[in-house]
Amino acid sequence: MDSVTVASVTHAEWIKFRTVRSTIVGYVVTVVLTLGLGALITSAIRGHWQTMEPLRKLTFDPVSTSLGGTLFAQFAVGVIGIMFITSEYSSGSIRTTLAATPRRVQVVVAKLIVLVSVTAVVAEVVVFAAFLMGQRIYEGVVPTASLASGAVLRSVILGGVYLTLLATLGFGLGLLLRQQSAAISVFTSLLLIVPIIVFVLPQSWQTSVTRYEPSSLGHAMMSVTPSLDMFGAWTATLVLASYVVCVVVLSTVTLVRRDA
Amino acid sequence: MIIVDHLTKRYGDTLAVNDLSFEVRPGVVTGFLGPNGSGKSTTMRVIMGLDAPSSGHVTINAQRYQELKAPLREVGALLDAKAVHPGRTARNHLLALAVSNRIPTSRVDEVLEFTGIASVADKKVGGYSLGMSQRLGIAGALLGDPPVLLFDEPVNGLDPEGIRWIRTFFRSLAVEGRTVFVSSHLMSEMAQSADEIVVIGRGRLITQGTVDELTASDAGSVLVRSADNAALRSVLEAAGNTVDTANDGTMTVRGASAEAIGQAALAAGVALTELTPQRASLEEVFMDLTADDVEYVSSLDATNHG
Ligand SMILES: Nc1ncnc2c1ncn2[C@@H]1O[C@H](COP(=O)(O)OP(=O)(O)OP(=O)(O)O)[C@@H](O)[C@H]1O
Ligand SMILES: [Mg+2]
Repeated sequence: MDSVTVASVTHAEWIKFRTVRSTIVGYVVTVVLTLGLGALITSAIRGHWQTMEPLRKLTFDPVSTSLGGTLFAQFAVGVIGIMFITSEYSSGSIRTTLAATPRRVQVVVAKLIVLVSVTAVVAEVVVFAAFLMGQRIYEGVVPTASLASGAVLRSVILGGVYLTLLATLGFGLGLLLRQQSAAISVFTSLLLIVPIIVFVLPQSWQTSVTRYEPSSLGHAMMSVTPSLDMFGAWTATLVLASYVVCVVVLSTVTLVRRDA
Repeated sequence: MIIVDHLTKRYGDTLAVNDLSFEVRPGVVTGFLGPNGSGKSTTMRVIMGLDAPSSGHVTINAQRYQELKAPLREVGALLDAKAVHPGRTARNHLLALAVSNRIPTSRVDEVLEFTGIASVADKKVGGYSLGMSQRLGIAGALLGDPPVLLFDEPVNGLDPEGIRWIRTFFRSLAVEGRTVFVSSHLMSEMAQSADEIVVIGRGRLITQGTVDELTASDAGSVLVRSADNAALRSVLEAAGNTVDTANDGTMTVRGASAEAIGQAALAAGVALTELTPQRASLEEVFMDLTADDVEYVSSLDATNHG
């Protein structure tokens, strides 16, 4: 008898992923936010370039600014990841899923394969588009960057990686908390509230703690030359990836141990 | 064949299932009966490998659920009809299930057709009535053509036509040699659709047997009318039986079989005008059996019974 395999479960999860509207809406919002806000930010910079302080002009990064929309799109991809699993808990279909696939780790692996591959494709396409669009808007007034430069190419690629990691983080939180509203609260807290808490810490702590915040890591990943108090782009990627791995492993252990 | 062996399941302080043991045989419809909160759904979730037992174990055809290679081809279950993503269509829901267990996708159309929801298969499940959801749940259970089937309160929300359909359908599954395990809190329902019944109350086994055995067990009483009640009564009472005479001239005799009463009447020379063994209705048996084990008694009932 043909047995249940990661491949067959992945196929099933792919069907489930693409047949609900929240997934489609989530990706549309991701694209619109990344491109729309990217256009807005880059246009605003172009408009103010002449009056900008010389020091800011000196540290100006045409890459990370053109990818500024990802700071908003990160919530959209996070919610896609969260909904992919919490919708199973809210509807109760998780029981159908786990009855069909009693080796629960297979469910997690299958869902991750689907989520990561679809998000990676969408995110990479959209960050490259946002980059190219941004340079187009800067052209003639603001200094531009070219993908011919290795550091520029790296920053753009890591912009897509950042979004993919955050979608995965959302999934892990959703699996751990099993509830959409709780997972969204924690997810947004990590991105928005933690920086505020860090802001009230003593100055000496701030500099050492800030670089570990997910949003700072994202900024470092997308910067051609990350500032000195930040991690380097690759280190930042590793740190963020290790957060995600921790949450996913913890939530998988919980899934295997707890009653469905 | 499902074997539940000394199963205990606790949720924190709640003892949902308490040292429960029973077997569900293939070839018959087995009813799983108990008042609200008696642990039926919990037992079914443990059978399906969804909740882990606190102690004891459960096997399906001698295997633990987790060991099944393609579970949907071995066990089909309807646990909660509404447990489907409301934004997905029935067809896509079934398609994903089929694909996960490598069941040919042609089965999707077959079960949709069979359960009578083919015409709404491409509509979102969120808009389904409870009856339609039940049918979708049944379609999902049948997808892998499994030899063992579990249904938790499948009749909920079905119209009379649907109820008739489902009864004949359970019967036909059993006739094909499958193991069919159906829960309900309604005895009247079980009396009509089950061959064997497992009765639980507060998570404990109260009794297990065929519908005939259960209704006969409380029988013992025989309705008698005769030409000379007084004479017959004294003979029967002398033999150690209890006799109640009603105003309409019928006697209810306990302790003797119809045959013994007939013999006694013949010996006493009394002509019998009626001799009817009484069968307790399954409903009465159930009420009797579970009277002490009902968890949620309405306040009206509670005051009436003191
Ligand atoms: N996940 C859970 N957490 C805590 N308690 C639970 C859980 N599931 C069931 N229980 C409790 O266990 C007991 C048995 O519940 P169960 O749902 O198995 O009963 P049931 O026989 O299916 O009832 P019904 O006829 O109402 O469906 C109840 O007291 C219930 O409150
Ligand atoms: Mg129940």
